[in-house]
Amino acid sequence: MAATEGLRALGAAARAELEQFNRSRVLVGLVFVEAITFIVLVSLFGLTGSRAPTALIDLDGGPLARSFVQHLEAAHDSFSLRPMTAARAKKELANGSVVASITIPHDFDTAITHGRTVLLPVTLDNLNADMSEDIRGALPSAIVGFGQEHHWPGIRLAASQRDLIGHDTGYIPYLVVSALALTAFVVAGILGAVAITREFEARTLTQWRLAPVHPGWLVAGKLLAATLVAAVAVGAAVLLVTVGYGVEPVHPAAALGVLAVCVPMFACVGACAGALLRRTLPVAGLFFGLTLPFYIDSGAVEPLRFDGDKIWTLGHTSPVYQAIGLIEWAFHGLRVTPESVAQNFAALGAWALASVVVGTTVLRTRVARR
Amino acid sequence: MQREALIELDRVSKRFGRRVALDSFSLSITRGSVVGLLGPNGAGKTTVLSVVAGLARATEGTVLWRGRPVASPFPSELRRSMGVVTQETALYDELTVRQNLRYAADLFGVRDRDGRVAELLQLFGLADRARDRVGALSGGLQRRLALARALLHDPDFLILDEPTLGVDVEARHALWGHVRWLRRTGKTVLISTNHLDEAEALCDRIVVLRNGSRLTEGPAAELLARTGRCIEIDCLDGAALPLRDRIAQLPGVTKIDATEVALTVHVANGSSTHAVTDTALLDEQVASVRVRAPDMVEVFQSLAEARDGGD
Repeated sequence: MAATEGLRALGAAARAELEQFNRSRVLVGLVFVEAITFIVLVSLFGLTGSRAPTALIDLDGGPLARSFVQHLEAAHDSFSLRPMTAARAKKELANGSVVASITIPHDFDTAITHGRTVLLPVTLDNLNADMSEDIRGALPSAIVGFGQEHHWPGIRLAASQRDLIGHDTGYIPYLVVSALALTAFVVAGILGAVAITREFEARTLTQWRLAPVHPGWLVAGKLLAATLVAAVAVGAAVLLVTVGYGVEPVHPAAALGVLAVCVPMFACVGACAGALLRRTLPVAGLFFGLTLPFYIDSGAVEPLRFDGDKIWTLGHTSPVYQAIGLIEWAFHGLRVTPESVAQNFAALGAWALASVVVGTTVLRTRVARR
Repeated sequence: MQREALIELDRVSKRFGRRVALDSFSLSITRGSVVGLLGPNGAGKTTVLSVVAGLARATEGTVLWRGRPVASPFPSELRRSMGVVTQETALYDELTVRQNLRYAADLFGVRDRDGRVAELLQLFGLADRARDRVGALSGGLQRRLALARALLHDPDFLILDEPTLGVDVEARHALWGHVRWLRRTGKTVLISTNHLDEAEALCDRIVVLRNGSRLTEGPAAELLARTGRCIEIDCLDGAALPLRDRIAQLPGVTKIDATEVALTVHVANGSSTHAVTDTALLDEQVASVRVRAPDMVEVFQSLAEARDGGD
């Protein structure tokens, strides 16, 4: 009987919350926009970081020069060659449109054929060490690859590469999938928080204590509504990633399952923050403020264990770490955390449980105090 | 025949830290009665209502429902027997009038929800505002809606905390009409107010509170009678003080509040006001004389002085 009444109250609370979300269209609209823009933002970050624009001035144009260009293109993922004239390259370097210019001299093929050493003029705008190093590292790699292809003597070392994973994962596909976890965190977190802060701001908490059911049913109903709205927003982001970016999940059911677990869990984390802060403005600021640190220190850009023990340990202070571990596995089949899939699921569950316990305790105290 | 007590407080105390909000306070409310809690701000009215409504747990003492002690938090059957209108109406501003009522009806499991909501919308004159956002309603309409919501599940016992706080005169009288209707339908009502006229208009019995304790109680008419009458005398400049000295000698005068141009004379219950009014009207420096009932502050002061004097 109590459970039936509780479920009815849960349904009523969920319906009322959805009606309130329907009235707060600006908030919900902004949350949807945030879900999409975050994906776009990180892919822009990936574009700028991974595709350093480099001017290529091919003054020779012969078959060996073209072969060398192919090796340049294959040398490094973050190398984006743009063929152009010397004058144009000079101009684009000056106005910062390209990072470097590589010139293949007009006697390239002849010199190579006659066994002469060719000097490649390279001009580098080294204002950003990350990109400079990409180009500095890519050139020798392309030269060695070019030499090996033409069986030149003197190169006595060749890599025997064995890939741990059967496929390569592009940097942008990696980033946008990680961003889904962050999107779920921010969207579900804010909506979960707002569902609670709204009660403080409207001073409607008294009604919870006057209701003939345990307030937990009402909180659950509100979080259900927040989860549904967040799920739609995250669904739009998933659509963008799968259709817009063409990222097909390796384990589609698991990908949906991970998000279906992450969204309500993050809504619980949001509800806890809402109970602690009691106001929408600071809680929204908190979640948007946490986005970047959580994104950077959660394995979203690269597996966190590559960044050393301290940063890896610090990453565990955010539930996004486990979420990214799960979502990269579900979409790309990658294990980006030393922890297993089951361990990450369990850790996310623990986050949600801790949030529910802390949130309920805080709410009970706050409601009683009123 | 003695009517059954619906709810009782037995030597209930409530402390917030070191502050004592309610000090060994007892109250018995019989079925079908309308009891008013009267007192200035900070007297403990809202604390009493909170304890009775189960919103606050008594630090000491017992709450009894139909003669049986009840634990806190209140069981759901007891919650279903109560309708509460708090000072903060606790309505959802973003929802419409109808949505607020439907939500409350669902929480209480009201049968024929939509029919009951429509009935109360009609009863409280809110039918034409059913689709309006609550945030767009006036304070008076919001209070009316809060009262309608408290009645959705047809409770036996209504608790109204300053139901006319911050509303205009018209809305106030409309709300009074609804409370009188509750009395006619046999509901038991506990109401707190700052306004003596409100308590007089609505309540069978008034309990006057001071510093978390009962100052006195009784029917409104009896309390008013105990405090006598007031006479307002307006004088020309400088004439008030000599007149005060003459009036102070008259029988029945208990207290005079004086300024340079006006006197407020308090005459004891049972004493005639004629001696004072005649004296004033014979004075050429007096511009006007008016006899009135004491206001809440004056009644409270009078009762407090009588009690302190008695002590």
